[in-house]
Order: sequence, then C-alpha cells, then structure tokens
Amino acid sequence: MPAGHGLRSRTRDLFARGFRKKGYINLTTYLRTYKIGDYVDVKVNGAVHKGMPHKFYHGRTGRVWNVTKRAIGVEVNKQVGNRIIRKRIHVRVEHVQPSRCEEEFKQRKIKNDQLKAEAKAKGVVISTKRQPEGPKPGFMVEGATLETVTPIPYDVVNDLKGGY
Amino acid sequence: MVFVKAQKSRSYFKRFQVKFKRRREGKTDYRARVRLINQDKNKYNTPKYRYVVRFTNKDIVAQVISATIAGDMVLASAYAHELPQYGLKVGLTNYAAAYCTGLLLARRVLKKLDMDEEYQGNVEATGEDFSVEPAESRRPFRALLDVGLLRTTTGNRVFGALKGALDGGLDIPHSEKRFAGYNKDGKSLDAEVHRKYIYGGHVAAYMNMLMEDEPEKYQSQFSDYIKAGVEPGSLEELYKKVHAAIRADPNPKKPEKKAPKEHKRYNLKKLTYDERKQKLIERLNALNAAAGGNDDDDSDEDDE
Repeated sequence: MPAGHGLRSRTRDLFARGFRKKGYINLTTYLRTYKIGDYVDVKVNGAVHKGMPHKFYHGRTGRVWNVTKRAIGVEVNKQVGNRIIRKRIHVRVEHVQPSRCEEEFKQRKIKNDQLKAEAKAKGVVISTKRQPEGPKPGFMVEGATLETVTPIPYDVVNDLKGGY
Repeated sequence: MVFVKAQKSRSYFKRFQVKFKRRREGKTDYRARVRLINQDKNKYNTPKYRYVVRFTNKDIVAQVISATIAGDMVLASAYAHELPQYGLKVGLTNYAAAYCTGLLLARRVLKKLDMDEEYQGNVEATGEDFSVEPAESRRPFRALLDVGLLRTTTGNRVFGALKGALDGGLDIPHSEKRFAGYNKDGKSLDAEVHRKYIYGGHVAAYMNMLMEDEPEKYQSQFSDYIKAGVEPGSLEELYKKVHAAIRADPNPKKPEKKAPKEHKRYNLKKLTYDERKQKLIERLNALNAAAGGNDDDDSDEDDE
C-alpha cells in the first residue's frame, strides 16, 4: 500500500507535543490579543484539532490580516514553482504566537526617538544610523620575548638510528 | 519477599509530568477556566468578567474578576464576614447569607461603575426568576458565574448568591433550574419555596422543630442565635433589614490595621553572602593564629 499524502501526512513528530508538556494549554495563549498588521509565528499545537494550519505553515511567520472570534487570519509567503505567493490562511489562536522579529526594531525606534529628542534639546546633530562593526583597533602585544628560530642541518646518522 | 518493596523507579520520576500547580492543589478547574476566560479575539482587550463564588467553612467569598496575562484583577469583592456591619451576626454561611453577600457585591460593583441609580434590580425579594432589563443609557453589567469545583445541585447556596447578584442588578446568564424550590417533575420554579429560602425560612423551620422536639439540641445547635437574641419568627424581618441596609450603603469599610506582633524567631536567620564570607575569613585567621605561623606559603587569607 502506498504511503498516502493526506492533509496530516508525515506529521507524527511535527505535531507531537513536547516531552512532559502534554495536556493542558496554558491560559496566556487565550488571553493574548492580536491586531491587524502584527507579525505572528505559526506553531501548531497538536492538542487542539480545530483550526489547525497545514503542516507547510508550521514555523512560518506572517502578518495578521483578519481577526475573528476564535481565530486569526495570517498572510504567509509560499513559494509555488517560480514565484512566491502571499497566502492567506485562518488559524486558531492556539497555533499562533506573537513574533519577536520586530521587537529589536521597535526598541531601536523608541531609543532613537529619545536620542533625537535629547539632541534637539541640546542643539547637537547626531546620526542614529547603525554602523557595521569596523576593523579592531591596534594594540601592543604584552610580555613577548623574541626567540629566533633557525633550521638545523639534516643529520643522517641521528635520524636513521630511530627507525632501525 | 517482604523486604523487596516496589518503589517508584528513577525513570518514573524522570518521566513524570506534573499538573498545573493549582490543579495539584485541587483549587482550579482549568477546563472550566479556559472556557470562562476566553474572549472573542475581535473584541480585543474588552475584559470578560466572571462572578466568582466560593464557600469556606465559615465564610462566603463573592468577587467580580477579569483575567489578564499578569494575573486576575478583582473589580469588587464581598465577604460574608462583612455582614455583621449590616446587622447580620449569625448564620453567615447559609442560603440567606449567600443571597446577602451576592446582593452586597452587586450593589458595590454598580456603585463603583456609577450604574446603581439605573439598575436597582429587584428591590423586593420574591423568589421568582428576575433578569435585568437594559436601561436607556448603558447596557447592564454582564458577568459569568464561576462556581469553581462545586457540584451544582438544585438548591445549592451558590445559586443563592447568584440570585442575590441578579436581584442586585447584574446581568448574569442563568436558568432557574437550579434555584431552591425548582420542581424537576413539574419543570417549574416554586417561587414561594425559593422566597422562603432567601429569608432563611428553612432555618426558622428547623429551629421551631428543634425547640418542640429536642430542646437540648436546639440549645447546642443554635447557641449563637440564642446569644444574639435571634428568634425563628424574627428571621425574615432581620434579613429584610439587612437587605435594606446593604442597598443603602454598599461601600466597604476598611478596618484599622494593627501593627503585626513581633514573633519570637524559632529558626536561625539566614546569613547574607558577605556575612558568610566574613565568617570564613575569621575562622581561617583563627586557624592560622593557632598553628602558630608555621605556614611557609604566603596564603593570604585576609584579602578577598
């Protein structure tokens, strides 16, 4: 009998719950709110059978485009052939986590706004652009003694003795 | 074979998954809790209030709570041990007291939200099923009953508290099936019986019965009632007065907090890291001094 390519084929381990994490779902998953435009990670929770996305979307990150009573509409990129399509799926909240991909950006935004406001108050012109790491600065090597190493001439007699 | 006991092997412990803490304590039913707390996502941050009623051996707790990720936030609470302020000194965990506590909580919540003028609820407590009518300006305050781990049988005190809150003016979805006095065969609520329970009629009947048949038992069972001077006939009057007092002033009174007593310490106080280090240095110094300076190594124990 052939293997079959059903909806949940090959998901034995993918949809399994973690070791010693079976059973109840903790309540923060239900208490979180999602707004349109947020980024979310799709991570399937095998304990909840309704509103499960297809296994392809497990581990993908997308934007929220719709919010319904118990589910969230997420827009995920999928490569089909030679192009990438923006696919819109609906997923129940148990299979969704807020993504941290924008977190660093948002914090930097806040900090930069703060720095710019301070600079404006002082009248200083600053650049808040991120700079790539440059070459390391030069330094002196401490505690180095000079040892001159010269090659010794090849001694046939000594070397042969070892291998005899 | 006796000395070889069956033990829980190491692998048993390694694979054991503990339940949630409150489930281990037996205090929270998570299946019910999830369904009570879950808010429609397209209502975003609108809080979903639940009307929590819990009974201890000597007290009744009624609270209106909304859930957040940081923890549950209590909007208002009422306890049966506050009822003495309103004139009820005995019988603080019976059906009638539950009704009073529910009523007190409902009036508190409405007063807090400035809705108590609009939603008077059912001022005269008949036993009938009463639901709040929406007034013109604001919709009634909605909460969902959370019984916890109670067995919801007909005539349970928790439904007395529910009735108190309903008559106080809260909008709690319910059915009359579990009120005291519901007739399963006739499938109808006998309002008279329910009213009797709300005013402690069942307690009064028992008191009368004991006074006639077993006076000593009456003395032992209702000793507090006798001390407070509560007669079976006057129970209904008493509860009516309590209801009126609650409606007049539902605000909680904060009692004066006494400074806590200093207790004698029975176990040693834990030392801080610095204190422990210091002790070690002193001990080593003492050791060195006792050895009499024999050590060749200049082990410097005094710094660090």
